[in-house]
Amino acid sequence: MTAPALTVSPALQGAHGVSFAGAIRSEWIKLRSLRSTFWCAVIIVVLNVAVSPLLLAVLPADGLPSGPSTMSLVVSAITVGSGFTSLVAAVIGALTITGEYGTGMIRSTFAAVPKRLPALAAKAVVLVLAVFVVAAVSVTLSTLIVLAQASGRGLDLDLDGAFWLALLGDAGYLALIGLMALTVGAIVRNTAGAIATMVGLILVLPNVASLVSALARVTWLQNVGEFLPSTAGSRMYAYPSPGLDAVVQQAQPGAITLEPWQGLLVLLAWIVVLATIATILVRRRDV
Amino acid sequence: MIEVTDLTKTFGTTTAVDHVSFTVRPGMVTGFLGPNGAGKSTTMRMIVGLDRPTSGHARVNGVAYRQLRDPLRQVGILLDAKAVHTGRSARDHLAAMGATHGIGRARVDEVIALTGLESVARKRVGGFSLGMGQRLGIAAALLGDPRVLILDEPVNGLDPEGVVWVRTLARHLAGEGRTVFLSSHLMSEMAQTADHIIVLGRGRVIADAPVAAIVAQSSGGAVTVRSPQTAELSAAMTAAGGSVAAGENGALLVSNLAAARIGELAAQDRIVLHELTPVAGSLERAYMELTQGEAEYVSGGAPGTPPPPPTGAPIATGDPR
Repeated sequence: MTAPALTVSPALQGAHGVSFAGAIRSEWIKLRSLRSTFWCAVIIVVLNVAVSPLLLAVLPADGLPSGPSTMSLVVSAITVGSGFTSLVAAVIGALTITGEYGTGMIRSTFAAVPKRLPALAAKAVVLVLAVFVVAAVSVTLSTLIVLAQASGRGLDLDLDGAFWLALLGDAGYLALIGLMALTVGAIVRNTAGAIATMVGLILVLPNVASLVSALARVTWLQNVGEFLPSTAGSRMYAYPSPGLDAVVQQAQPGAITLEPWQGLLVLLAWIVVLATIATILVRRRDV
Repeated sequence: MIEVTDLTKTFGTTTAVDHVSFTVRPGMVTGFLGPNGAGKSTTMRMIVGLDRPTSGHARVNGVAYRQLRDPLRQVGILLDAKAVHTGRSARDHLAAMGATHGIGRARVDEVIALTGLESVARKRVGGFSLGMGQRLGIAAALLGDPRVLILDEPVNGLDPEGVVWVRTLARHLAGEGRTVFLSSHLMSEMAQTADHIIVLGRGRVIADAPVAAIVAQSSGGAVTVRSPQTAELSAAMTAAGGSVAAGENGALLVSNLAAARIGELAAQDRIVLHELTPVAGSLERAYMELTQGEAEYVSGGAPGTPPPPPTGAPIATGDPR
């Protein structure tokens, strides 16, 4: 029995085997075609822009700093929204994968990319870039507002390398928290579970650690808290402030404060561990 | 071509698929039949690498699905549950699927037209009816113009027009030399679509044969006879070696005697006949016989329900090579 030759549609010219570039295009189409992505991006920008003028606006004239701590205050004003916007970034990151598990879309995804890990990696790449761009836009707008405000109040501005690095770190922090939520989502496969886990890790645990360690004056707990993803990650967008560090040291001798690059490494370590668990589970599990 | 070899899947202590082996050939429609819970969907998911077999393996066009370099071009899949994000439009869903293989918008629009989804292509899938969802699933399966189609319950939720459309499409695709493997728990659907049937019951293959062979081996061949002289007729049939059962509305269902012989016997004894109709063995009946006791949940014999049909001769399994 010889099968008749199949007619191939001319519209299929240019089609090829499954490729990583193809998987990235696919994930980009998926990310931008969901309303949740659009609204999360809007919330990140609006929230960040809305809260950034507050700090300088409420400080009385005699409370304004001078000298080296000026830039620390300016950076704090610009990045004050990150505590909230990082939660929104986590929601985007978690939804990237839990939305697929919840609807069954994951089966279509893994049928098209049966080795699975390229699909997961493509999600990660697209998510990190997208969140970084959105965060960069929101940080840029906040920076323009805060700098205008600061010069209006006669502050001495010194836009040095550490200043720009802190802003870059802020956008990078949001992107990495999004990525971390993606790995958590791949592990728990459930939107509510993934978001609850992220809220616990980046909001509840650090607060519990700092509250208890402050009340009970336990330095080791303070130091453990320093290595939590959001605390370590927040060092990425902190303007180095020797004065503040000295105050902390006086209050709690032996307390660790991570450098920005150390904070980045600690957050990356969290992501590497979670991503390793996620890849093992994703490869193995039935969908 | 799909080759399944000794495929087994256990979930805890439950064996969903139990050492299943079969081959699905190109150029024909192969039906995959069985009661709900027989293991059809699990088998199909294992074929396309979504579920990991406990043991055994499956190959599509000679290769394990996970090793295929261009899976969407080789195999089109429609899975039982909707495998689509409800927040995305049909067109974006298909574009995202196609992008993995460099399949562009031109082909996406082509399959949208082919499945009659033009008017809803830009709407979010969450608002789709079951029938539209099935059409979208079929569009996704056809996206890569694949040589093998695996369709799990493709007519589920379709209106009568849609059912005919799927049937015609399946026949057409098989006619082009493609491998078409579709599952259903409805025998009547298969009778009109499939050339070959694989019946699964409680995770095991209980029949694997051409449709005609399955029908022929079922306990058909009975004859419905209607007469005002039921008692005399019944006696004459029994005397001649036939077996008589009560049919519908006072008719008799005579087996082991040909229709012509029954007519002759009646004429001999001057018995008036009002009807003499050979009953062809139906696929429906064959299926009921095959899956008797194989259904996971057998309905209890409530008062007024008809007795289960008699168990016929076992049907040969294994493909007629």
